[in-house]
Amino acid sequence: MMKLLRAEFENFRMLRDLELQFSSEPDRKLTVIRAANESGKTTILHALQWALYGDDALPSKGQGFRLHPIDWNARDGQRVPIIAKVEFEMTTSTYRRVSGGLRKTRQRYLLVRSAYENMDSQEPRLASTVNLFALSDSGASPIDAPESLINEELPLELREVFFTDGDRALSFIEAEVARSTKRGRVQRAIRSLLGLGVLDDALKHVRKSSSEANKKAKQIGKGSELNQIASRLEVVTNDLEKLEIDLEDAKQQFGVFDEKVDEIDRSIAIALQKGAGNKEKLQKDLDRTKHEIKYLDAQLEAAYKEHSALFRSRSIAADLLAPLLGRAFEKLDELHDQGEIPNTTIPVLQDRLSAEVCICGETLKASNAGGEKRRAHIQELIEKAQRADEVQEMITGLYYGTKELQIDRGAQSSMWLEDYKKVVKHRDGIQTLRDEAGRKFRGLELQLDSLPDTDIQSLRETRRRYKDQRDRYLSEQSVIETRLASLQREHDDLKIQSKRLLSEQEKGARILAELEVIQDVTKILQGAYEQITDEELQKVSELMNSIFLEMIGADPEQGAIIRRAEISREFDIIVYGPNDRTLDPDRDLNGASRRALTLAFILALTKISEVEAPNVIDTPLGMTSGYVKRSILRTAIQRSAQLVLFLTHDEIAGCEDIIDEAAGMVYTLTNPAHYPKMLLNDPNVVERKVLRCECNHRSDCKLCRRRMDAQADLEIR
Amino acid sequence: MADRYYNPFQTYDINVPVEFHDAFTRYCQRSNRVIIDQSPFPRMVDLWFLSVCVAARLDLEPVDIPKSKTTKIAEGIIFSSDPWRIHVLMLIAIAKTGDVHIVSKPNDIMKLASGLSVAGLSKVIEMLQDGDDVPIWNLSESIDEILRKK
Repeated sequence: MMKLLRAEFENFRMLRDLELQFSSEPDRKLTVIRAANESGKTTILHALQWALYGDDALPSKGQGFRLHPIDWNARDGQRVPIIAKVEFEMTTSTYRRVSGGLRKTRQRYLLVRSAYENMDSQEPRLASTVNLFALSDSGASPIDAPESLINEELPLELREVFFTDGDRALSFIEAEVARSTKRGRVQRAIRSLLGLGVLDDALKHVRKSSSEANKKAKQIGKGSELNQIASRLEVVTNDLEKLEIDLEDAKQQFGVFDEKVDEIDRSIAIALQKGAGNKEKLQKDLDRTKHEIKYLDAQLEAAYKEHSALFRSRSIAADLLAPLLGRAFEKLDELHDQGEIPNTTIPVLQDRLSAEVCICGETLKASNAGGEKRRAHIQELIEKAQRADEVQEMITGLYYGTKELQIDRGAQSSMWLEDYKKVVKHRDGIQTLRDEAGRKFRGLELQLDSLPDTDIQSLRETRRRYKDQRDRYLSEQSVIETRLASLQREHDDLKIQSKRLLSEQEKGARILAELEVIQDVTKILQGAYEQITDEELQKVSELMNSIFLEMIGADPEQGAIIRRAEISREFDIIVYGPNDRTLDPDRDLNGASRRALTLAFILALTKISEVEAPNVIDTPLGMTSGYVKRSILRTAIQRSAQLVLFLTHDEIAGCEDIIDEAAGMVYTLTNPAHYPKMLLNDPNVVERKVLRCECNHRSDCKLCRRRMDAQADLEIR
Repeated sequence: MADRYYNPFQTYDINVPVEFHDAFTRYCQRSNRVIIDQSPFPRMVDLWFLSVCVAARLDLEPVDIPKSKTTKIAEGIIFSSDPWRIHVLMLIAIAKTGDVHIVSKPNDIMKLASGLSVAGLSKVIEMLQDGDDVPIWNLSESIDEILRKK
């Protein structure tokens, strides 16, 4: 388990000289850093991640991301040193054979990362240097390869899970982002959580071995049929690999253009909102119709599934088989009437043996010669009945297990036809509404096209281009998938032929054995991959649902419309309302529920990953209030191993008692640039830098005292 | 049957003639991007099971196919997710053979069901394709027609 103890930053943007401590006590695992907006919260999140992972953890992987303070004075030097130090503790439990027990060991570490930026150069900064030291009473000992230790405890891929910006976290569900992007984010988080990369690598390795074995097969009998098959197999395998790369590329490109289309849609919406009268109304109509279409599409999808389910239903089997099964049921009824269902022979005979008196009244005592003979006979009858009993038990199970099918059989009208009628009515009804909404949307688009607004028309043109590109990649994806399917079949056929020919060759036996092992290993790896994905995904989904419902449980307004949340097999986070209707997070969920849902996802991932590490969350309670806010805070405290929260004054309001109870450390950060508009007193600081004071959530001092909102309003006016 | 959901077919493979492989790929939902109207069966076993039922309904003779000419589409363990199908297969076997003791012979039941599925598959594929609409509606209308013929 990893716990943060302390962090220190020097010249990292606004953090010119800042030290933070974190509470590590198990019963007071919460650290609250109170800070108003623009007081360095996001910068601290970046700084912490930069310390641990380097430039990879910065926006755009650090490219063009300045690290030094923007108001750095060249007189202090042209070369700015940027330093981040993080002190943390690792607790491990090791089993000791000698003592036969678990032993907990704790080790403190200090991670130091440093970089330089030149004020007089446009060149990108050089890579940072990182050192890790194990701390003890006797001093600090350097540790080799610090990255591997960090990655083991806090994998880079899970960074967004452990270091969360409350607003950015919404990216897992926000409606504005393209579905493929959201799906990708959830998928990446879950894949890295499950360590599926290891299985991926293993599968690639096994495939390579298969190609090697095929090359050996090619060497046998040059010019022979086996040689020809092996050569073709080699070509097909190469083509398969290339196509898989192309498919991945097409998927990625589709995602990129899908995102761009969404971005343009947002820009068009903004342009329309700014326009008066007709434009504003047009935007509202477009927005409404889009949401209506989205809702109806989800309903249609559910109706298709309902239709499809008819072909795997019990009613289709019962109705189709009704004329035939009558004969089987008659046979079972006969047995029942004859008393053979359920079978009661054995218990009666056993009862007689225990009572030592036969049904006819004769003794069954073992001490009596006649009794012993009769006893042996009954014992023989029991054994015989036991052999027959297994079959009878199955028949009995069948008789009672098919009662429902018998009821279906007895129904006057066809159950399936009734179900089918309902499905048709439902599907057709939704389809009609969907067609209407589609017509309405096309009409609105025509209105949009005729607007005499060059900005909007130019955006529309760009959108058309992006949409064409997006559709082109989607179609390419389908073509590649079709080619892959056909190649895969050819590959499988060639493998069967190769296997047959190898078995005919003397030298082929060894290669054949090798190929069989490879095939078995591939099967096991693929099976494991699918099983892990299914099972773990299910676990995360269930836990997310329970945390989410716990968080929003007290909100009667949301409680009435939200039934449950889940992560689908396609990695979509879906919220359901009454009658399993899917809800749109943007329209149907309020801000508090949206935040609760993403935090529930993050906490569930943390828990299931069994990676015990701190959750550092910026503005987790934004847009929340009342009981739900308190409930989110309580649940987050309860579910985290160590929780560091950056909270604004508004977020803290109403939760003071929870913080009193759970926080081991509370302090305040202030941005002196907020004087005089928001800060009451002049901090007398020239540079832009974040300052810290020891005020907790209930106190303030000369440095951090803020103007009341009303006062600030007056000043602004 | 101590356990109501005991699956006697869990160690058996469900095989179909190689020539039907394409039909299973075409009409069963093998990925999330599939168009349900074009591929109405959620899983391969659903197409297989419907073929068994259709063959039984139309009183078609089971067709025996050597294993070498078949391909596996599922494993018998799949019946554990729909245990009522285990009972239906047993009932078909009792009805066809007139022998209730066949319930203790899963091999015989599976052989009969496989034979029926082969006989019924061509018919179901015909039902999917015959009509002016997409497969899901063609099939629905055909099933409707069969069931109305009492």
